[in-house]
Amino acid sequence: MEYRAPIDSYPGIVREITIGKGEKALKLGGENRLPLHSFDEGSYPHPPKFALELWDMEPEDWPEWGVEPYKDVISDSVAWAKKCEDYGPDAVCLRLVSTDPSVKDSPPEQAAETAKKVAEAINCPLIIYGSADADKDALVLPKVAEACSGMNLLLGPILKENYERVAQVALDHGHTLIAQSPVDINLLKELNVRLSKFCPLDKIVIDPLSSALGYGFEYTFSLMERVKQAGVIFKDEMTQMPLIADLGSECWKTRQAKENKEQALVWEGVTALSFLMAGANILVVRHPDTLNLIRGITGVDRV
Amino acid sequence: MILIGESIHVIAKAVNDAVKERNPKVIQDLAVAQAEAGADYIDLNVGPARKEPEEMMQWIVGTVQEVVDLPLSIDTMNPIAMEAGLKACKGRPLLNSASNKTESKEQMLPLAKKYDCDVVVSVIADYGMPPDVDERVSSILEVVEHANNLGIPNESIWVDPIILPISTAGEGQRHARANLEFIQILPDLLPGVKSTVGLSNVSNGAPMELRPLLNQVFGVMLQKNGLYSAIADVLDKDFVRVVRGERPEITDLIYKVMDDEAIDLSSLSKEEKDYVKTAEVMIGKTLYSDAWLES
Repeated sequence: MEYRAPIDSYPGIVREITIGKGEKALKLGGENRLPLHSFDEGSYPHPPKFALELWDMEPEDWPEWGVEPYKDVISDSVAWAKKCEDYGPDAVCLRLVSTDPSVKDSPPEQAAETAKKVAEAINCPLIIYGSADADKDALVLPKVAEACSGMNLLLGPILKENYERVAQVALDHGHTLIAQSPVDINLLKELNVRLSKFCPLDKIVIDPLSSALGYGFEYTFSLMERVKQAGVIFKDEMTQMPLIADLGSECWKTRQAKENKEQALVWEGVTALSFLMAGANILVVRHPDTLNLIRGITGVDRV
Repeated sequence: MILIGESIHVIAKAVNDAVKERNPKVIQDLAVAQAEAGADYIDLNVGPARKEPEEMMQWIVGTVQEVVDLPLSIDTMNPIAMEAGLKACKGRPLLNSASNKTESKEQMLPLAKKYDCDVVVSVIADYGMPPDVDERVSSILEVVEHANNLGIPNESIWVDPIILPISTAGEGQRHARANLEFIQILPDLLPGVKSTVGLSNVSNGAPMELRPLLNQVFGVMLQKNGLYSAIADVLDKDFVRVVRGERPEITDLIYKVMDDEAIDLSSLSKEEKDYVKTAEVMIGKTLYSDAWLES
């Protein structure tokens, strides 16, 4: 008897969301099948996207092979952002590390100014992450939202502890939200339910909190799988948002990345590749070689 | 369903203080309140009972027996306290609990034979909590066989599959489904055994005001699948009414969810919708979150 591979079809669909403005705006999500299940019914209209990360201050603890691609521009966020864009990512991600109370505790106004300059200097969409200090971000992110009004940033992290102070302002200025919860599907859903009371569901991207390979990676991996399954197979509206894997900074913190360049690139590359398998829709990486490596392996090129 | 009142529990600070001070009032009030609320047994959960286990146990059993005639469920992991408690009971007590742990089989189970009482036997094994239905089954078969060999008949054994919180990151709903299935197949596995659960644990960690709803719905579902008894919050009047079958419109709705029957939500009241949503969480149809009633 002839073997026929089973072909599944799925009732749910991941919401299509747009970040950025104009020609370079990106569409994320929109798929109605599981990641890499190209043998099943359904489509994956928007292949995963990649962002390169920069900081709002000169980093002190990056190994030299992490700094190398940006060494001429690393003390100037605007030049750094342009440099990132030159490497050809789909988006650029600005991390407001200096605002962290345990780093420089720099004021919200300064962060807003940096954010605005960076956003205006590049053509591709901009992702902005605060320091993930809930109270400080509640001051910083609204200022950033206002300064970049109308640019449709992908802005976060919006947390359970500060969504009431941040989300509405961000929406009023036309941005898209990164809803972040600590590696827990129940908390992730709860935050989306709370946001849904006033936020359109196509203005949310889920950040399940990523970790690097060997450092709790598998928790995020299986959580991403479950988010996709809940959304696509079980039609759970509150998990039908695109996923962001913010993995670069996690990978470059590891001992392996700090030991030598080859290891660093492999670590970031394999972590990114694995998150693609789990269903991440947009990935934030740090090194341009990782970007090229992953695009080379997967054939996912600039769209 | 046989209801075992859970309120005399040393995790409650008032109870803990009363036990330490040997103050009968708090304990007796709780015993009487639970008896009046419809409890069939009163559970006396004294925890590990490290200090003066025998004297304390005699005191608490005596204190409760002064005011209620109900049989008692002696709930401690300390075998010395357990034996003292069983000895002090006037009626036929329930030993709560033994398990498939080696230590428990050696020290607890023989007490059930010695004092000719009913015994709660849980699926917990030396390695901990069995992860799925199959492992729960093999664990319980082992320990029940051991009990039978000691001369304890199936009819005296109350099997406990161990209820875990529904809110446990991703895993809670899987365990809830596993336990519903376990209770359903139990009579075929071990004819004659009874069953019980620590029901309120299902809502541990959930928002306080929503805990009764979770307890009620899961209680009804387990009952439909054949659950014999539950250690539960009998002071929750709605819970007692629902599991006593006094709210057929609610039980019918929960049954419909279990049987995957179509429900016209638009025809339901807010309260009825809440029961339906909760039942859908319990069977894993909707993903749990603390805001499960709001979406």
